[in-house]
Amino acid sequence: MSEQAEMSEQGKVTWIGKPVPRREDRPLTAGAGRYMADIEMPGMLYMVVLRSPQAHAKIVSIDTDAARAMPGVHAVYTAADLPEELKPFPVIWRPPVLKDDSIAALASDRVRNVGEEVAVVVADTQQIAEDARELIRVKYERLPANVDPIKALEPDSPRIRDEWDDNVAALFPFRNGDVDAAFAEAAHVVDGHFKINRHAAMPMETRGVVASWDALTETLTFWSMSQAASLLRTELAKSLDLPDNAIRVMTPNVGGAFGAKWDRYAEDLLACVATRRLGRPVKWMEDRREHFQSTVHAREQIQDWEMALDEDGRILGVRGRAVADLGSCVPSSGIGTQWVTGNTIPNQYKFENYSADIIAVLTNKARAGSYRGFGGPESNFPMERLMDKAAKELGVDPAELRFRNQIQPEDMPYPTATGMAVYDTGDYPGALRRALEMVGYEKLREEQPKLREQGIYRGLGIGCYVHCTGFGPSAMLGMINYDTSGYEGARIRIDPGGKVTVYTGMIPLGQGTETSLAQIAADSFGIDMDDVRVVWGDTSQTPYTGFGSGGSRSNLAMTAVMNAAEQLKAKMIRIAAHTLEASPDDVEFADGHLSVRGVPDSGLTMPEVARIAYLAHSLPEGEEPMLQTQQVFDPPGFGWAYGCHVGVVDVDIQTGMMDWKRYVIVDDCGPMVNPLIVRGQIEGGVAQGIGGALLEEMVYDEAGQPMTSSFMDYLMPTFHDVPDYEIDHLVSPSPHIRGGFKGMGESGVMAPAAVVANAIVDALAPFGIEVDELPITPNVLWRKLRDAGAFEDGRSAASVG
Amino acid sequence: MTGERKISLRVNGRQHELEVEPRLSLADALRNELGYTGTHLGCEHGMCGACTVWLDGKSVRSCLMLAALADGAEVTTIEGLAPDGDSQHPLQAAFSKHHALQCGFCTPGMIMAAADLLQQNPHPSEEEVVDWMGGNICRCTGYRAIVRAVMDVAESGAAPPASDPEPEPSSVG
Ligand code: FES
Ligand code: FES
Repeated sequence: MSEQAEMSEQGKVTWIGKPVPRREDRPLTAGAGRYMADIEMPGMLYMVVLRSPQAHAKIVSIDTDAARAMPGVHAVYTAADLPEELKPFPVIWRPPVLKDDSIAALASDRVRNVGEEVAVVVADTQQIAEDARELIRVKYERLPANVDPIKALEPDSPRIRDEWDDNVAALFPFRNGDVDAAFAEAAHVVDGHFKINRHAAMPMETRGVVASWDALTETLTFWSMSQAASLLRTELAKSLDLPDNAIRVMTPNVGGAFGAKWDRYAEDLLACVATRRLGRPVKWMEDRREHFQSTVHAREQIQDWEMALDEDGRILGVRGRAVADLGSCVPSSGIGTQWVTGNTIPNQYKFENYSADIIAVLTNKARAGSYRGFGGPESNFPMERLMDKAAKELGVDPAELRFRNQIQPEDMPYPTATGMAVYDTGDYPGALRRALEMVGYEKLREEQPKLREQGIYRGLGIGCYVHCTGFGPSAMLGMINYDTSGYEGARIRIDPGGKVTVYTGMIPLGQGTETSLAQIAADSFGIDMDDVRVVWGDTSQTPYTGFGSGGSRSNLAMTAVMNAAEQLKAKMIRIAAHTLEASPDDVEFADGHLSVRGVPDSGLTMPEVARIAYLAHSLPEGEEPMLQTQQVFDPPGFGWAYGCHVGVVDVDIQTGMMDWKRYVIVDDCGPMVNPLIVRGQIEGGVAQGIGGALLEEMVYDEAGQPMTSSFMDYLMPTFHDVPDYEIDHLVSPSPHIRGGFKGMGESGVMAPAAVVANAIVDALAPFGIEVDELPITPNVLWRKLRDAGAFEDGRSAASVG
Repeated sequence: MTGERKISLRVNGRQHELEVEPRLSLADALRNELGYTGTHLGCEHGMCGACTVWLDGKSVRSCLMLAALADGAEVTTIEGLAPDGDSQHPLQAAFSKHHALQCGFCTPGMIMAAADLLQQNPHPSEEEVVDWMGGNICRCTGYRAIVRAVMDVAESGAAPPASDPEPEPSSVG
């Protein structure tokens, strides 16, 4: 059912589907946002962290005497000073194949990556704390480091965890059908060795916390930018041995997160310990250099895949392995990311035989956790590269090969080759067709040879993608050993004056939560958006959410709001019917008005009904006073968004530089609540995907020292690096979600790497160059061109091939 | 603390006298000493532009500048950009209209940089906008919405021209 149809059952659709500018914007553009760094309190103390300069070493001794003695220093904590009962944070996604690991507050006898927390100093000012940190002396005994995940698999490589037999945290096997038989009967087999670069979410606001213990009431107020505030509260309670209800997690404005703020971090615990011991508020703000070293990285995988096809180019099966570098510790999300990679390899294509070994290995680098796309870009890149390789092998156009293999709308719901996913709805060939039409594919193909004659190497790259949204049904999370829930709640209170307040557990990170939930609530009651307030970011008021913001779950919160509104409307109808001496069946609710059917001006307004509900002088028998309710929505299934990107690039074969000509996007996230916000999410996601494909890489030297510690050596896309995004939409509502909405926060980031690589390979087809490693820098391309003989006789290189 | 130095700053039309340590940056002085927290810090080494403010009418990175060196200067921050107290600068409205901000963390710096461009060059080409803004990083929007917002104001000519917003010129030096 479309959102239009769905809403028309309830009333007029005024706000949903409209590009309403965001209510968040007025304060944020005025500089009146209140971010973590802006929170100051009387008596506040400042915490700084001493981090390991070593990638892998034994801690021989720590001397904190001079630091402790410095005037203005309130405390210095090392692992030895921490209360015994302080428990490390657990890993949330723990399939049986994953070895035990957890996130400890401070390193005790051993450091395992540059940036690992060794000690903290708490002082009157940030400056004093930083100066005192300089006085701490730590003696390390260096150990050999693991930097390369493949080498870390070797039996004699340095061990990261002494209690493990090797460095493998988990091997998760996907097995479906008979993949070896498929390969035995294949007419064509293509393969590739793929490297997906270590990069990171890199929000513009670094991490930070403010913790404040009230000794008299024994309560802890914790300002956090965590994407999972309720979950964090429960985990803090366990770690600190406090009841959940003694902890209030508050969220200020958050300057971007993209998954990096979903993980749990040592500083969360350390600030709590400090405030509890010192009885004063404690603030910690990460600087950018620390962010590079100790906020989660992501994506790094080395993969080998093979694809078997019949003589018509139909996929018979895929097999391979992905080795993921987790860094020095298993992240909060466990091997969730890597599991998603394995689970989305089939992408938009029909086949049954699949085998994959997903291997997660520890190394002496920063922990790798969540980043927008969560394993999806890591499967999209190899799969879409394989499609192009297969097209080349068969001598058919890459678009044509995709059409031959795509799942058709009538195949839905479609259980994929992994045996673990069922796509709900979608017109995959329709999205590809529309994207080709928008870009003018045939004409571009015709022009290509002529341009090459003029020395212009123009290439077209296609990237089709799927995106698992509304993560996810709680029972399903249980089945895959995700130790949290997937539902989303909404509380609505109509005040005595008749205005609406929505309480959400969603954490706004820039995705326009307030605006879109206000749109939903306003249409649910048929009222003005200005009459709806949205409250977020305070676990003492807002509904519990086990998962938090991430996993493209806004659609779940929206459904919860609709359901809660429905409850209150039913109650208002009962109260109005009682007052108007009519049967509830005869009372209509439209545009915030309640009237007896057929007598539109007979009725009551919402404020009038609210007054009756609050006065409670004359309510129907058994009716509870006031107007408030909470609804929880646990989706029955995932909503799979999907789409297709087509990019056009020119590559300068003398320099290896590339230049965007076009970037076309066709996305289907079901009906859109706010097209302005959807567009923003897509554009931002594509830019991040392009950054990962062309620019961004966390580089470590052989000793495990990070070479990228600032924006000077870690390049993010800027104004110059992004194309003009040309966007269109298809609309396939999800049957699992009221309104049909699918999530859309991560779609944009799925395909750009494949698009870029496919376009570059296409542009350089005369040289037979393949690009299977990211990032694709001009250096890399220039070397490939040189090796392919492109420079042998100057510009006449164009005649090669 | 040793070596504190007295300086005076005129911020958004208000005169402030303050004592600063020599190593205090202008950004920290604005944020921590004077409460202008609309100026954000994304990198503290001059690479992201989130801390962009105007010093004597020209955009600068306040994380790189020492507060002591700004002694006597006229500073404009995002809080003081709107031409008169209760309204918005056209760029502030255009950023919202074009959804040129998401988390809003880079936004004050973006707007301060773009407003400086428009006062120097009221009708820039798209290329000029891209070149001028090239040093400001945004992780959320993918940039094109910001270009659309700036171009909208450029084309409508709504941005106020360069002029000292204060009746009396500041007494620098
Ligand atoms: S904070 Fe000044 S440029 Fe990044
Ligand atoms: S809006 Fe978030 S960094 Fe630009």
